[in-house]
Amino acid sequence: MRRKDLVIVGNGNAACRLLDELMSRGARDRYDITVFGEERGGAYNRVLLSKVLAGEAPDSIVTKPPAWYERNGVRLVSGTSVARIDTASRAVVAADGARQRYDVAVLATGSQPLVPPLEGMTTSEGDLRPGVFVYRTMDDCVRMRGCARAGDNAIVVGGGLLGLEAAKVLSDMGLHVTVIHVAKSLMNAQLDQMGGDMLEQHIERCGIFVRTGRTVEAICGEEAVEGCRLDDGSVLPADMVVLACGVRPRVDVARASNLPINKGIVVNDTMATQVPGIYAIGECAEHRGRLYGIVTPIWEQAAVLADVLTGANPQARYRGTKLYTRLKVAGVDVTSMGSTEPELESDDVLQVVETRKSTYRKLILRDGRLLGAQFVGNTAAAATLVQLFDRNDPLPADPLEALCPGGGAGPAAQAERVVCTCHKVSEATLREAIEGGACSLEAACAATKAGTGCGSCRGEVAQLVARHAPSPEVAGGRAVAVG
Amino acid sequence: MAPRSSLRLKIVTSETTTHTHCPYCAFQCGVVMTDRADHAGVIDVRPDDDFPVNRGQMCIKGFTSAALLDHPERLTVPKIRGRAGRLLPARWDTALDFVAERLLRLRELHGPAALAAFGSGALTNEKTYLLGKFARLALQSPNVDYNGRYCMSSAAAGQNKAFGIDRGLPFPVSDIAHTKALLLWGANCAETLPPIMQWIFAQRDNGGALIVVDPRRTDTARAAALHLQPTPGSDLALANGLLYLALEEKLIDTAYIAARTDGFDDLRRAVLSYHPAHVERLTGVSTQDQLKAVRLLAEAPSSMLLSGRGPEQQSKGADTVLSFINLMLALGKVGKPYSGYGCLTGQGNGQGGREHGQKADQLPGYRHIEDAEHRAAIARVWGIDPAELPAKGKSAYELLDALGPEGGIRALLVFGSNVAVASPNALNVERRLASLDLLVVCDAFVNETARDAHVLLPVAQFAEEEGTMTNLEGRVILRQKVRPAPPEVKTDIEIFCELARRLGAGRHFQYTSAEQVFDELRRATAGARADYSGITYDKIRRNRGVFWPCPSVEHPGTPRLFAERFHHPNGRARFHAVHHRPAAELPDDAYPFYFTTGRYKEHYNSGAQTRRVSKLEEAKPEPKVEVHPRLAARLGVVEGDSLLVESRRGAVTFRVAVVPSIRPDTLFAPFHWGGRKAANVLTVPALDPTSRMPEFKVCAVRARRVSESN
Repeated sequence: MRRKDLVIVGNGNAACRLLDELMSRGARDRYDITVFGEERGGAYNRVLLSKVLAGEAPDSIVTKPPAWYERNGVRLVSGTSVARIDTASRAVVAADGARQRYDVAVLATGSQPLVPPLEGMTTSEGDLRPGVFVYRTMDDCVRMRGCARAGDNAIVVGGGLLGLEAAKVLSDMGLHVTVIHVAKSLMNAQLDQMGGDMLEQHIERCGIFVRTGRTVEAICGEEAVEGCRLDDGSVLPADMVVLACGVRPRVDVARASNLPINKGIVVNDTMATQVPGIYAIGECAEHRGRLYGIVTPIWEQAAVLADVLTGANPQARYRGTKLYTRLKVAGVDVTSMGSTEPELESDDVLQVVETRKSTYRKLILRDGRLLGAQFVGNTAAAATLVQLFDRNDPLPADPLEALCPGGGAGPAAQAERVVCTCHKVSEATLREAIEGGACSLEAACAATKAGTGCGSCRGEVAQLVARHAPSPEVAGGRAVAVG
Repeated sequence: MAPRSSLRLKIVTSETTTHTHCPYCAFQCGVVMTDRADHAGVIDVRPDDDFPVNRGQMCIKGFTSAALLDHPERLTVPKIRGRAGRLLPARWDTALDFVAERLLRLRELHGPAALAAFGSGALTNEKTYLLGKFARLALQSPNVDYNGRYCMSSAAAGQNKAFGIDRGLPFPVSDIAHTKALLLWGANCAETLPPIMQWIFAQRDNGGALIVVDPRRTDTARAAALHLQPTPGSDLALANGLLYLALEEKLIDTAYIAARTDGFDDLRRAVLSYHPAHVERLTGVSTQDQLKAVRLLAEAPSSMLLSGRGPEQQSKGADTVLSFINLMLALGKVGKPYSGYGCLTGQGNGQGGREHGQKADQLPGYRHIEDAEHRAAIARVWGIDPAELPAKGKSAYELLDALGPEGGIRALLVFGSNVAVASPNALNVERRLASLDLLVVCDAFVNETARDAHVLLPVAQFAEEEGTMTNLEGRVILRQKVRPAPPEVKTDIEIFCELARRLGAGRHFQYTSAEQVFDELRRATAGARADYSGITYDKIRRNRGVFWPCPSVEHPGTPRLFAERFHHPNGRARFHAVHHRPAAELPDDAYPFYFTTGRYKEHYNSGAQTRRVSKLEEAKPEPKVEVHPRLAARLGVVEGDSLLVESRRGAVTFRVAVVPSIRPDTLFAPFHWGGRKAANVLTVPALDPTSRMPEFKVCAVRARRVSESN
């Protein structure tokens, strides 16, 4: 049987995960695989870009070096953008006109940064002027790092996840960093006003200045960047400006190929577009009206598509993923899932605010289930809650319990618990014996027979002795022996 | 075999005492059994104070093990199913002739692959070895496998890939007491290996930290300083997440990685996608706890990770074990004093059982049946042409699933395994067993598997014959004969010889003692991975066991592996980039809960033995399903209610135990019971692609309260 041609357009996180999923299902037996990557080199993990900005070697975040493709029999065409897909003759057409035949094409073109049209932002050729950066690619990070010097002033436009991450790294490098955010509070897509305010306190404690409710109107300076003019007329000196104003799905290839597009490339539950043989996954794909920019949905989509394309499970379907965001820059923990505000009259809200620690925890409940949650400064319960949220499982009758992980295992009926299973000795029996004077391990074992069978409970008996033996005064001044 | 008492000056006229081993788990506690000279009385069983593994401790199963010997339900004569469907006593010759005739006829009609044998991790090394030889030379079939496939196969596959050798623990169990950080992953040894707890408590007393990873807050977890309670089936993601953090926190040992391992770069890149936020979502374990665990492991001067069946009995079990080994290698621990990865083997001879050729893909000495050199080596010892050795056969569940006219296997001989209870999707296995043209069960009791048997052959028990076992440390020990078997009972070795003769392969089966078989096993394993050639019965007696590999009679054995080199040809360990994948079946709207299985301290495996011991039966008379109080409220059940638990494969009604120690999204039940109480009616027969281990530990169920009368 002839092997079919599978072409993946894009070489980011989604393409990378799809390759892993395809390989683990033996896809090489069915397909000759070609990957087009716009950036040079292999795939890297974009989520970890801040490491490169912070000075780690670019290779440290490379997930698939070119050698990987060679070893796995995958053709990598890197440093090449794709212009369009010729759906009539079934060929992927590169920007340089080269054509690659396909039976199956997967668009994994990801997102591109939103760049607001600021005065003085671009050169006469339309490129970003030197000193102005977006924060999206490995090259962006390498260039930014080359430009940033301790003592310089940096302005980060945008107080979302990426903006704060970039601000923190630059601040750690010794720059004076100001974050300008258009909304009234930081991370307003994921946090309510109170959460955003708490986050701002943490961010400012890191040494970063925050101006919310402000926009940048112009970038000033003759040659080099000298500053930013804000909408209140004030001018802040700056040696570099980082634009982190959000992303939008990259749909240029899809548009040029006449694929149906809404906000993103429209796909169904098998990740297929309307055009036979063409699929889309990752940040560029719009599934049931939603776009995703985080890891979990990308993994799920890649697994479904690999199942379908290899026939490993032709019935595999992607049903959507709930929203879950995590900001983790050193010293500041933020987690958000689902809605940020109640939506119905009947929705319930539980908030815990610790003013001195600037921590904030909020649960939004509907019928005893989680509609949304936010954590700033204390995210210990997030891991448990996100699973309840994902599965729409009920919370404890008192939702406060859900904020105390590990607190579920209460002491109910503890005394009746059998400590020594060989001789069926309960904790209550042991306690009685210990309080009655059997206040060493040996004495307690002798009195109750506990620990004289297999011996595996002796450690526990010793703990009970330590806990329940009468204090030395009562026991005649002798120290309590603990085995 | 010399009873120890004869060496003492004590005047004993009416008793003999013998040092031997417990019949149950892989800990193989040393025991001292006392028998009346006329073998008429109840035997006393005490733990052996001097045996260096259990050091005078033993669990309740061992204390009560003698009850099996004089048990009234014991099978003491061969039985053949008569025309009316009832099992009738028969003479040995009649029974063996009947079996042999049928086997020959079925082989003539359907070919040798229509005959199959199924072994057990409870068989001695000698029987294991002979079963493999019997299947290949007497049955001439490729189809032989054993229940160890359900037990150790994932850990074995992982260790072989990473280290080039598979020994459960690469160090004596006593090393546990000296490690500064001990991580028990999905191993509830307080219930499954109670006497091992003395080493774990000693570890704590020596200032070590204990970490337990388990979806249940088990008795073992209660003893831990840190307990991580992940979602069933997410262990691999958690291990990769720990390695991600180790990389981020610069906790890995780059000098060790450079000097002793291969393949780290690929692994490092693969692990980059296990960001803690993502791992939290998959596992439910907070980043804080992930960090605590990996710091403890990395920063302690010595640390161990020991896994149990929890992470191994999954359809990604072998990869999960590799993720553990990756972690310990990256932290530079494997092969250092009191450090490394190990697996806590389950069955009595789970270790030896996987080394000597009762696996579909293996020949004695851990040789591979598809390797021409390995085939030639065994053919030489057996005096045959290598071409006469059949190829690789079907793995355990696949073999059982191929029973009957549809699957093509028409005759099955079962030795020491209760497959009807121990297999996943148990109802299917029951149907398959019932469709056989010939089912022969060799056992001491009529277990669930024997229900549809055509012939039952009664065999000797642990105290009635001798033979070697290999315990969880890789220590080869000797079970001694305490008393003779009942008159009409034979040993498995005798049955192999008698049947082989009737099948025309008698010249390959000329043994009059277990020791003779062992001597042949020594020759067969010489130069192989699991080299037993330097071990003798006498040496075992003198040294209280000998650790393999032991390549010559002068060699002292090998208590510790990997200090100098690993067992791949270049001496280095190999990293393997492994990825999380979901369990074969996850909860959904129709079947909204996880279901997982495990054990009680009082019972062993399918319960075929322990359910017959009155003390154990009284202590744990039935399986209970564990339900979190919150889930219990949701289901409207209280302690003691009956809960009908259903999966896509079947339904079981359990009595409810409401416990806060289990995750609120998970139900747990032990698998020791058969019939209508069999937890494995629910489990899913998804298999690991490498080890062929079934996914006992994760499936999806629904549940509802039912009234008593149901």
